[in-house]
Amino acid sequence: MLKIFAATTKELLLLRRDRTGLLVLFLMPAILVVLITLVQENVMELTGQKKTQVLFLDLDQGDLGKSLQKQLATTTLDLVLWDEGQKDIADIQAAVTGGGYQVGVVIPKGASARFTEETARLFQQGNGKGKPREMTATSVQLFVDPGIMAGLRSGVTAQLQMALTTIGLEAKLAQLGGVLAQTMARAGAEPEQSPLAGEKLPALFRQPLLDLQEHQGDSGAIGASQYKPVQQNVPAWALFGMFFTAIPIAGSILQERNSGIWIRLTALPVSPLVLFTGKAVAYMGVCLCQFLLIALIGAFLFPSLGLPPFTVSMHPMAILLTVVLSSLAACGYGIFLGLACNSYEQASTLGSTSVVAAAAIGGVMVPVYAMPQVMQRLSVISPLNWGLTAFQDLLLRGYSLSAILDDLGRLLLFFAVTVLLSWKLAGIRK
Amino acid sequence: MGQTAFMKPGNPYLPEPGPDCVVSARSLVKHYKNNDRPALNDFTLDVQQGEFFGLLGPNGAGKTTAISILTGLFPADSGSVRIRGMSFQEKEHEIKRILGLVPQDIGLYDTLTARENLNFFGKLCGISGRKLGERIQQGLEFARLTEHARHPVATFSTGMKRRLNLAVGLLNEPQLLVLDEPCVGIDAQSRHLIHEQLKEINRQGTTILYTTHYIEEAQELCSRIGIIDNGRLVEQGSPVALLQQSGRGNLEELFLHLTGKELRDT
Ligand SMILES: Nc1ncnc2c1ncn2[C@@H]1O[C@H](COP(=O)(O)OP(=O)(O)O)[C@@H](O)[C@H]1O
Ligand SMILES: [Mg+2]
Repeated sequence: MLKIFAATTKELLLLRRDRTGLLVLFLMPAILVVLITLVQENVMELTGQKKTQVLFLDLDQGDLGKSLQKQLATTTLDLVLWDEGQKDIADIQAAVTGGGYQVGVVIPKGASARFTEETARLFQQGNGKGKPREMTATSVQLFVDPGIMAGLRSGVTAQLQMALTTIGLEAKLAQLGGVLAQTMARAGAEPEQSPLAGEKLPALFRQPLLDLQEHQGDSGAIGASQYKPVQQNVPAWALFGMFFTAIPIAGSILQERNSGIWIRLTALPVSPLVLFTGKAVAYMGVCLCQFLLIALIGAFLFPSLGLPPFTVSMHPMAILLTVVLSSLAACGYGIFLGLACNSYEQASTLGSTSVVAAAAIGGVMVPVYAMPQVMQRLSVISPLNWGLTAFQDLLLRGYSLSAILDDLGRLLLFFAVTVLLSWKLAGIRK
Repeated sequence: MGQTAFMKPGNPYLPEPGPDCVVSARSLVKHYKNNDRPALNDFTLDVQQGEFFGLLGPNGAGKTTAISILTGLFPADSGSVRIRGMSFQEKEHEIKRILGLVPQDIGLYDTLTARENLNFFGKLCGISGRKLGERIQQGLEFARLTEHARHPVATFSTGMKRRLNLAVGLLNEPQLLVLDEPCVGIDAQSRHLIHEQLKEINRQGTTILYTTHYIEEAQELCSRIGIIDNGRLVEQGSPVALLQQSGRGNLEELFLHLTGKELRDT
């Protein structure tokens, strides 16, 4: 026990003397989490998970423009109103194809008048015999960036189409109310007696009869307002940083093996397991600090960058346990690398390649659900995936400790296996 | 000396190690992977209690390999090793407790200070509390590094590092001190100091096994010298006996006669 403590203190001292090494360990994941989240925020915008800005140019300045604005106010489209006195269609086109905006909407001059006129003519078609007259639709112009993703394009188009359909339907119903009133009057009834009379009809129409109730996953514990990329990226990149500590751990072992230190240590009455434990405990401290730093960046720096904050509202103990076991897995891997490789160059090349690969497979860079089927199945072999799944279960899905025990067990097993393998190797490599 | 002072390699009758025998190695053979030549080939050695035994040999003769097997760093392919009658298979921990090893490559943490190095290795030896403080202080004085106790080892000269390397090997007050070329690449002052200190330690009763490729060093220090070449002991005896028996003027002539004049570049 005393020897483990001595080994841990020594490791911490060595770390404290290696300021640059420590700085890299903390800066690398910190920079990555900020950059990647900022980049991905843009991706979220493109895939419609965030409000899309829509240029709105009303050359008509009539009722149609006002109704459309009102309809779009409740959608995920964020209207940017352009002044019709200063801009024209060419400007919109330039802004959209130039990539500054993804979508532009133009209400042509005279659109309101034509729309009102056509609506009025809808029911002036003589008697019920013969084919209904063809109507001319009043067009609203839509400009879309050709580079836009298909998903966003159809999302925006659907919302605009929905708004136009609603406006059209309301106009038709208002018209129908009038026609009904006239017909009833002709039949001798008092128009006021009809529930469908006049202005009442569109108001009735707006009453909901069917709706879509949305649920978040199974538990529903977390509201839709929670911004997912932040809750996903913060633990993901913290894990990435934690697994990267495997390289300095391997380096510290190789430094010992390539000097007389390892020989001296093997000649002392102390088991390699004691030395491994010392390293694991010391570097676990580093990993905890890394996670804390990344979490603090998520919580306090993100808001000032215009991102929503990272929050750990539930199961702090389960989260801590996940951090601890992920760190142990990372340390075990580092110790194994230090004994399996013969030079620091080997260990750092193999280490960084394998950690980046495990991060990619594990869903740190691209979420697992967005991967092809084959890769999704492959992702379960990555220790980073086990850690990440546990974090997502806790932070996104609102599960409790019992739901992540399998992933935690895998991390622990990984640590045990790597340390035992290293122990075997230490026997050979004395 | 009761034992045969002069023993031919492959001697068919090997005397049983007596009660005073600290190190006894019998017919050690060691092949490294990726190396056809055996590093040790029928290596047999006895070191008695209180001896200052020098293992003298050219580069690549197998000195470090022999020392590694004798201190239990790794096992030989065949043959047997006993330290005070104990084998590493059965009593590894007990042997390690009475053993002090000074490795050929300096075994110190560069970024730690002299005191921190002594403190860490002392704790791993199982020393603690006031005793540890005393041993560290003694170690610093022994290495003449009291003034530099708080300086990182990286700032030390080779002589200072070698002195500290030795001091760390002495932390547990070993009964058997094994040194692998401890004076390579250092100035005359440091070498002189180390030599004097080792003689003193030996006088106080510590058995010493010392490897070197410097003939004068072996001659000056050792009560008995074994000449090793190509993984086997080719000659052994006290410096005086070796000269007498060989009938040559000095040890260097004997050494070159035994090991040949071919260059050793391994
Ligand atoms: N790890 C190793 N792998 C392969 N060959 C080795 C290894 N260590 C030493 N040797 C070889 O074994 C022989 C003895 O080496 P060593 O015991 O280090 O000699 P010395 O210490 O006397 O210079 C040399 O030929 C050397 O090249
Ligand atoms: Mg050597």
